[in-house]
Amino acid sequence: MNETRMEIEQAMAGEKQAQVVTAIAPAKMTLAEVRAKLDGKSGKRYWKSLDELADTPAFQELMQEEFPRQASAGEWVDSVSRRGFLKVMGASFALAGLAGCTKQPDEQIFPYVKQPEDLVLGKPMFFATAHPFPTGAIPVLVKSDAFRPIKLEGNPEHPIVKGKSDGFTQASLLDLYDPDRSQFPRFRGEQAGFNEFQEQFAKAVAGTKTGEGVVFLSETVTSPTLAGQWKAVQAKYPQAKLVQYEPVNQDAGRAASKAAFGDYYDTQYKLEDADVILALDADFLGGIGFPGFLPMSAAWAERHRFDKDKPMNRLYVVETAPTVTGFKAEHRLALKPSEIDQFANALTGGNSTLSNPEAQKFLAAVTADIKKSGGRFAVIVGPGSSQAAHAAALTVNGSQGAVGKTVFYTETVVPMPSEHVSDLKALVADMNAGKVQWLVMLGVNPLYNAPVDLAFEVAFNKVPNSVHLGSHVDETGFYSTWHINKAHYLESWSDARAYDGTISIVQPMIEPLYAGKSAHDVLQTLLDPSVSAYDVVLANAKTYLTGGGAAATSAAAPAAGAAKGATSVSPDQASKAALGLAAANTPFELAWRKALHDGWVANTAFTPKTLGAPKGGTTTPATAGTGIEISFKPDSSVYDGRYANNGWLQELPRQVTSMSWDNAALMNMDLMGKLGIEENEAIELTLNGRKIITPVLMSPGHPNDVVTVQLGSGRRAEAGRVAAGVGFNAYSLRTTDGPLSASGLTIARGHGTYDLCVTKVHNIEHRGAYAQRDLEHPLSDKDGTYSLAGHEAMERSIIRYATYEEAMKNPDFAHTGTKDSNGTLVNKVGYNPQGEAVPHEESFWPDNWRYDHIEEVSAGKVLQNKWGMSIDLNSCVGCNACVVSCYAENNIAVVGREQVKIGRIMQWMRIDTYFEGDLHAPSAHFQPMLCQHCESAGCEQVCPVGATVHTPEGINTMVYNRCVGTRYCSNNCPYKVRRFNFLLYSDYDTESLKFMRNPDVSVRSRGVMEKCSYCIQRIEAVKIEADKNNRAIEDGEILTACQQACPTDAIVFGNLNDPKSRVVQRKAEERDYQVLADLNYRPRTTYTAGVINPNAELA
Amino acid sequence: MAQVFDRSSNALARASLVLSGLIVIALGVTLNSLQRSPWVTRQGQRPDQPVPFSHKHHVEGLGLQCQYCHVSVEKSSYAGIPPTKTCMNCHSQIWTNAQLLEPVRQSWATGASLQWIKVHDLPDFVYFNHEIHVNKGIGCASCHGRVDEMPLMYEQNSLQMEWCLNCHRNPSVNLRPTSEIYNMAWAAPSTDKPVWCAPNGTSGPTAQQLGCVNSDPASNNPHLAQMTNPVGIPTGPGGVQTVANAPVIPMPINYVKFTSQEELGHYLMKQYHIRTANELSSCEVCHR
Repeated sequence: MNETRMEIEQAMAGEKQAQVVTAIAPAKMTLAEVRAKLDGKSGKRYWKSLDELADTPAFQELMQEEFPRQASAGEWVDSVSRRGFLKVMGASFALAGLAGCTKQPDEQIFPYVKQPEDLVLGKPMFFATAHPFPTGAIPVLVKSDAFRPIKLEGNPEHPIVKGKSDGFTQASLLDLYDPDRSQFPRFRGEQAGFNEFQEQFAKAVAGTKTGEGVVFLSETVTSPTLAGQWKAVQAKYPQAKLVQYEPVNQDAGRAASKAAFGDYYDTQYKLEDADVILALDADFLGGIGFPGFLPMSAAWAERHRFDKDKPMNRLYVVETAPTVTGFKAEHRLALKPSEIDQFANALTGGNSTLSNPEAQKFLAAVTADIKKSGGRFAVIVGPGSSQAAHAAALTVNGSQGAVGKTVFYTETVVPMPSEHVSDLKALVADMNAGKVQWLVMLGVNPLYNAPVDLAFEVAFNKVPNSVHLGSHVDETGFYSTWHINKAHYLESWSDARAYDGTISIVQPMIEPLYAGKSAHDVLQTLLDPSVSAYDVVLANAKTYLTGGGAAATSAAAPAAGAAKGATSVSPDQASKAALGLAAANTPFELAWRKALHDGWVANTAFTPKTLGAPKGGTTTPATAGTGIEISFKPDSSVYDGRYANNGWLQELPRQVTSMSWDNAALMNMDLMGKLGIEENEAIELTLNGRKIITPVLMSPGHPNDVVTVQLGSGRRAEAGRVAAGVGFNAYSLRTTDGPLSASGLTIARGHGTYDLCVTKVHNIEHRGAYAQRDLEHPLSDKDGTYSLAGHEAMERSIIRYATYEEAMKNPDFAHTGTKDSNGTLVNKVGYNPQGEAVPHEESFWPDNWRYDHIEEVSAGKVLQNKWGMSIDLNSCVGCNACVVSCYAENNIAVVGREQVKIGRIMQWMRIDTYFEGDLHAPSAHFQPMLCQHCESAGCEQVCPVGATVHTPEGINTMVYNRCVGTRYCSNNCPYKVRRFNFLLYSDYDTESLKFMRNPDVSVRSRGVMEKCSYCIQRIEAVKIEADKNNRAIEDGEILTACQQACPTDAIVFGNLNDPKSRVVQRKAEERDYQVLADLNYRPRTTYTAGVINPNAELA
Repeated sequence: MAQVFDRSSNALARASLVLSGLIVIALGVTLNSLQRSPWVTRQGQRPDQPVPFSHKHHVEGLGLQCQYCHVSVEKSSYAGIPPTKTCMNCHSQIWTNAQLLEPVRQSWATGASLQWIKVHDLPDFVYFNHEIHVNKGIGCASCHGRVDEMPLMYEQNSLQMEWCLNCHRNPSVNLRPTSEIYNMAWAAPSTDKPVWCAPNGTSGPTAQQLGCVNSDPASNNPHLAQMTNPVGIPTGPGGVQTVANAPVIPMPINYVKFTSQEELGHYLMKQYHIRTANELSSCEVCHR
């Protein structure tokens, strides 16, 4: 026995140095092959990736395997001989029999010494706070389990957020528990105390008398309180300066606003009333990087729902790199950045002509549509739009009457708007001139992301004292004299304004894990260090809360005293306070408690300003460079790099491109052809003499002669274990002259290959004989040019949609198709009879499961629950919020780049992107794909151990502890939604991550299959509550994590037996269809076919 | 060549075949009983606790109600282990110098938790929920045994899956009126000791819908019997008595007499709207 154990230990030790199979050989696709395939072919076709379109042998090989590159023995145990392997296996067989008999170790219970009064262990509590973001705060409701934040949701009562959230907000939870966070202040790299810093800093600044040479370099100040503190500092030290710098900023918009109106204003869009929307390089459906993402995407989706009695809106997008907004648009025009400027100018000029005939046609159509709308339109610009585009939007929105209808100008959401790049430039000049003695950097990382031409590192070395407040000892923190560990927003007091100006108070959910400090504390060092961040936030609240003004001084002390001890006020307490039951005596205290409870302060939203016509003409853009241009975009997952150490976001396939753990130079096929570049080739980009080496990814729909790179990758080792070494640093090409785009790029080949990690192809493995039959006997693909996924999308109608006119003519288009005048089926809508379900009577599978059991509840009798889901493809914008929400809710493991590369990503839901049509101007369809909870599920039928079974309420459930890992279920799943733990992916060791886990969901170990459970833990929790009270579960009481996060309300979950439920109403729509219905798996998740509203002139 | 084995070895071969068969069976039986033995399940074991807390003394002797310490049993999945504060409520006054209670005072003084050993320890993949059980008529003693008779706490039942399923497949054998949940000595009704139950006509939480008594409401308790048929209050549909301008006083009306657990169990299944065996034994009820 001892001997065997030793053997196992040896084997285990070997595992640590295991040689991991890291990649499939890159598909050797050549352009010539693709061209040959595509030449002369026309018509509609769907495809997912270039490899697949080219149908290369390597791709074919990939497709043959259920899971490409099975976990081989070599992955577990390094170089185990066959004999050794047998020995190990022998031991494990012996142990397998005993596994059930092993005694569990003693577990201890650590009860409280004094239990907090409102805490009911086992029941989560919810607290309101806000996620501060440079484009406006996202008010959230934090699910807290024994005072540990475990999930974030949008605040359901907030007027603009309405319970919705986004990927960044969801993932910010993981940032809190990031094990790489900086854990203590450092002085010259050695651990030091924050009070030492305070003493030193306060003394030095006091010594200057006027604050000369003291400069704060801050990320965008989002907190009105912090702005107030800065004013106080300025009053005390008039020579001190504060510069805000954010690599992805709103400079262009600020400059345009200043030029037009003489001051900085924000634009708010009310898309509820917009019939025509034109977005100029504005990715407003992509995420909170765009100000107002939540209300705007919700309003767009609401107006984009197909309803016979309601006109549908129409979205035009002019952009460079393809974004989800571009692909959700009815019409998308791909232009180089310089051409977008020309387009914007022409838009204001009205009559000027564009050299590009396509753009000219587009412009004419848009202009006509805008005129026709009678002011019910909006030209949208955002942080990614150039100054010319901003100016054009101001002009057109004003002159065509959108202002006051759909477009409103307000004061800025951030309290101290500024133009970041020019301010930073001035600061660097000061630093170089030796005028800066103390550089206090609040949450910024300029050594990583400052414009490269400023040579920030040179100037940085001339500053004698640098202070860095940051969550990590990052590139800047590492080299700073002082590093202060920054508290996460879930650990600190602050405040912030949402998009509409509504103030939310940021309250701590947990005692700072590492005693981190906030910017409030740092500024307070110069004022009165004894005053806490809580005190200043409370004091500032007196300026906007009722009862603040006069009663302020008397109310302050008791209020501070009452709430100081508690890290947060529970909703219970707060509601008691609101009722006047607790100690809240003054109106201010009541208002304060209400603000903390509600998560926002009523009547603090901005009122629109009347600004009159914008002054001055548009700035003339530089004449279009003939060379290749480069466009810089924030990454859709890691943004400007701030989320680079967040495993959920790094692993999250990027919008549209589906890249995971990578960034790439995006370009179109023509440019690749011109330069002779293949996909996955490493190339050298040179701009103004600066060079970087990047891999190439072909981007369908990308304009010609321009390369798009994503910021935020290429972090150095200091950034943390996740971020380090991912991708290339695009900041090293970005200068103050061209923060958004630049021209004069040169490209050189000859740097080998770099195999990008793209998840797209992972989920289209062969689907058995049916798919094979399709390929052999195509219905519509007579030329044999469709790829496999294309086949499925087309012939089996995975994606179905119609135009508004077609849908009006034939609302049942998703099931009958559209016929032309001869009565023959036109494959216009992706409909094909082959994709239909067989008649139920002919079904081989009887109705094994019945859902007609009557349950008695006190209100009467109700039918059994029967769960189902409906996803509206018209509304889904592919923003990934649902995917990240699922990560947090279901304890999903992060597997790392190597594992993703071989198809082992663990996320339970994915967004499938199907491109359609021309490589140069494709359209795309997003389809969230998750377990369909089939009624006659293939997985259930093949599981030898009953680990995946049907529940009486129709859910296909996983019993992890029964699973022995045969993977038959995944083999038999046509939707490819099952995920297998090939290795031990879940992190059982890192202490901080244990706090984050959802206690109601098992953490899966190696060798276990897992998949979407319809958030069974949420269903059970509600069911218990309802059963206790003898009532039926109400519609909307159970929200799945994906549904709750979805900004556009695309996902609806509910009881199919309740005729009034939303999901039943959705499914009753004629456009409702099943994916791969012909297999007769009878999925419970169905999709609503999309409807688009194209302009006939551009058709 | 001479035979290696002589004829007698045939018997030996047969015997060894039979024997190895027996050994395999014996091994199976051994493993099976080992798996169910207290060595694995810890049934009946009393781990060393920091304080030899006696449930017998506190429950039977002093008459403390279960929920005094296990506060969240009706409203959460966890019943709750009392904080040191609960101990100190009394022990700051009585037995203040007892050597046995030194760890409690230590915990109170230092703010460090008392470290109890879990007696009822379910595997981590089991999501057991107390609140639904006590709200639907499963008494504490049904799972935890006569805690009031345990000087030192031990596990009465194996808490193995088969034991759970015995009840989930047929809950009626263990159901009792919710008024008797915390009654350790509650015994199933018998012909000698019948139970009378009646719905009180209210809607709402299960726990408040039924009134049960251990003595005949008609003969032994005239007061109650009178109340069952109040004069002057018309009986509305469904047994709910309403008077236009008077507050609604829900009262039991029709008592049903039960003389066996089977009858009572089936009656309570219906009254408490217990889900079907099929639903209760579905995997997702306990495993997620």
